[in-house]
Amino acid sequence: MTLTQNQSTATEISPRELYARLLSAQPFFILDVRNEEEFKRMPIEGHATLRTLNLPYFDFIEDEEAALARMPKDVTEVVVVCAKGGASQYVAEVLNNHGYRAVSLSEGMIGWGNYYDVRDVVSKEWGRIVQIARPARGDLSFAIISGEQAVLIDPLRHINVYRELIDHAGAKLTLILDTHVHADHISGGPALAKETGAPYYIHPYDAIHPIDMLPAVIAYEPLRDGQVFQIGQVRITTIWYPGHTLGQVNFLAETPDGGRYLFTGDGIFLRSFGRPDLGGKGEAWTPILYRSMFEWLPRHLTDDTVILPAHFSSLEEDAGNGIFAAPFAQVRAQNDSLRPRSLEEFTTFVLSHLPVFPPEYVEIKRVNIGLVEPCEGKASELELGKNICALAG
Amino acid sequence: MPHFDQTLDVKGAKCPMPLVKSRKAIAELPVGQVLQVISTDRGSVADFQGWAKTAKNVELIAQETVQENGQELYVHYLRRTA
Ligand SMILES: [Fe+2]
Repeated sequence: MTLTQNQSTATEISPRELYARLLSAQPFFILDVRNEEEFKRMPIEGHATLRTLNLPYFDFIEDEEAALARMPKDVTEVVVVCAKGGASQYVAEVLNNHGYRAVSLSEGMIGWGNYYDVRDVVSKEWGRIVQIARPARGDLSFAIISGEQAVLIDPLRHINVYRELIDHAGAKLTLILDTHVHADHISGGPALAKETGAPYYIHPYDAIHPIDMLPAVIAYEPLRDGQVFQIGQVRITTIWYPGHTLGQVNFLAETPDGGRYLFTGDGIFLRSFGRPDLGGKGEAWTPILYRSMFEWLPRHLTDDTVILPAHFSSLEEDAGNGIFAAPFAQVRAQNDSLRPRSLEEFTTFVLSHLPVFPPEYVEIKRVNIGLVEPCEGKASELELGKNICALAG
Repeated sequence: MPHFDQTLDVKGAKCPMPLVKSRKAIAELPVGQVLQVISTDRGSVADFQGWAKTAKNVELIAQETVQENGQELYVHYLRRTA
């Protein structure tokens, strides 16, 4: 095959279509043509039905026949992915010339990493709760819209997604809440506050970098335990939940129809919970997390309280329709890590399930309280890969 | 800067073109000679390493990053070994 500048292009699949396929749990095959190192750092993950093979594009350029011979024999339909969408286009064409039906992921992993999925968790007379996910990273954020007011909880870095959502709903952003100062991704909170004038709240304990011991230089309002906010007909109560960070809070939203929605941040996840070591003091913070989890939070939990965490670790946590939320009774039944334990057992469990500590997490916390201001390139480099905020499974 | 016999300028070319063109240039190079490839594609650094590892007749001798008019150039030196 000769490659010229005005070649016909192989069919593309958009990040949105890719995500729909990943959620559907239908079996399909991804050929990742990046180099091995990049592939290992951030593969596309899906349900157990997803098969992925890494065959770098340069293997196709070096020896096309040899590379084709390494394709699985039972596959005809292929989604090809690379870093930016160029090499996958090249390989998809090679495959199409050899009897495969191959499509290339447009904009590659960069496009996938920056793709946001927006969908309603609930939509009622009093208003809506909207989940805004960044699926490649397993990051979840939320909007509550009621009357003409909107609050954002844990907004992510690409703030236009939120501005469009709220504009489209004919509402005004009146409140920005972060459950904690994040370590794995850059918050959109401070930038949204600057652009819209809405107040940005974090707990003051998180406004000190836990390793540098330097105070925040961004503008923020201090959250306190028990603080109540009213957004239209929805009442939001702040519940201090130290452990993952010292200033971690949960927000309990109560709706006029008796609904209870608990935004847990990096507290409880659907299948795990937030690790207590990202402040560099895992042994000291583990007993604090224990008290939050087993003594303080249960007072606010009912079986039908819907748990809405800030992360998922696997698409298997999808409760249906791409919503990563479930009533507490179901979470308790599915999440073995929440099982009652003595403090000693809990400590042993936590310390033996800590995943790697990504070194960039220290820097991301600096960014989130304004100690460092990265350019766009640096910011997306810091956010490469999926979050590692949960205990290892 | 290592010794080289020919230069291939792929500035501005996006992945996979730097590698496609280098593969072609190596095929036209006498055995034993060295090709200098000048690219603006940052991804080419890791990809040329990966390619040279599995390629039949390519040895990656050196790679360097140089500044030119405020932009980064990624320069690769490849020897045809067979
Ligand atoms: Fe996190």
